[in-house]
Amino acid sequence: MLQLHFTNDTLPDNVSTDFQNLNKFSEQQFVSLTEILYQFLLEPKESERFLHQLTEFAGENGMSAGPLRALMKSVLLLPHGALKRNLTAEQVKVDLLSLGLNEEKASHFSDQWRVHYPVLSRLAVGQTLMVNQLVDMEWKFGVTVGTSELQKTGNIFLQLKLVIRKGNTTENVYMELTLPQFYNFLHEMERAKASMDCFS
Amino acid sequence: MAFLTEDQFTALQLLLKAPSKDVVRQICADSFPAGAYKRQSVIEKTANSLSVSSSEAVQLLTAFHTVSHEVVYQNLTSPEQILSIFPESFHSNLKNLITKILLENSVTWRNDALSNQISLPKLVDMEWRVDMKTASDSLSRMAVPTCLLQMKLQDTPCISGGPSESTITMELSRETLDTMIDGLGRIRDQLTAVARK
Repeated sequence: MLQLHFTNDTLPDNVSTDFQNLNKFSEQQFVSLTEILYQFLLEPKESERFLHQLTEFAGENGMSAGPLRALMKSVLLLPHGALKRNLTAEQVKVDLLSLGLNEEKASHFSDQWRVHYPVLSRLAVGQTLMVNQLVDMEWKFGVTVGTSELQKTGNIFLQLKLVIRKGNTTENVYMELTLPQFYNFLHEMERAKASMDCFS
Repeated sequence: MAFLTEDQFTALQLLLKAPSKDVVRQICADSFPAGAYKRQSVIEKTANSLSVSSSEAVQLLTAFHTVSHEVVYQNLTSPEQILSIFPESFHSNLKNLITKILLENSVTWRNDALSNQISLPKLVDMEWRVDMKTASDSLSRMAVPTCLLQMKLQDTPCISGGPSESTITMELSRETLDTMIDGLGRIRDQLTAVARK
């Protein structure tokens, strides 16, 4: 039973085989494949592009696309698990060696992990659940010149529009603040920011 | 400038039947809110205190309502301005009393009008909280601070109906909060610039 850092589950046999099969690629091929993989990890929405690049790679290197895709699917398990568990590059390398990848390729992959890790973890944080996330704020302020009750007045008002993401749609919230309320709001937000900064 | 008709001035003189100055004051206060002169309870109260008929009470309330709203609209603040509304033939003591009442109340009425004017929902309260996210399904260990903000808004319709309150809760990441404070700071700078002019 393999003791791996990136997962606690027993890996199915084909996954271990797939990792060992990576050894069959040449240095150059492995480097290109690693690049394609990391490109996908950095832009997880580009699945079409990822599959297309794999198909191209398969064509250029005289192999069938289907098995290559299956292979990459197994390989992806490692970075996904490593990201979830905040693994270091050393831990990733140890896991690759345990899975049977040769020293050179394991070093290259874990080096790339070290390079891309900050961006990948920021991406993971960005994907974390946010409830009613504030996405945009628009404001205007002006002076009320007159109303139906008062012919001449000079009242300052501030209007805010907050755009909130609710699931897949956004909701606009409109509100008006008086000047004292605005100053209070700004003060409170600065206090919140100071509180957040304590944790950095 | 006369913005009341002769009939309305005549109706105003019904106030002479009031038993005391306080009754006059009360009638004036009752007649100010929008739609007051259509409300049965107000009409009856006025009719009883002056011992006049309902229709006369309605005329009086309407007349006073028109006068007081014009005074607030045009922001007439000096006694001379208000006295000049009345015709020469108007009862002198009553004229002075009405002027006094109008002057006493116009500041309050003006402020009320300002706070009840049409507007977007007004912010009535806000609360914030800073949380620390320690884990999620994409990262089993993390330390990401996040801010939760709750704002209570009240929409007061000017025309009829009661105020409706709504609450909105939202989450802000640190970047969002920074950007928001930037934006608010810009507003503050602009306000300061405008105030200086």
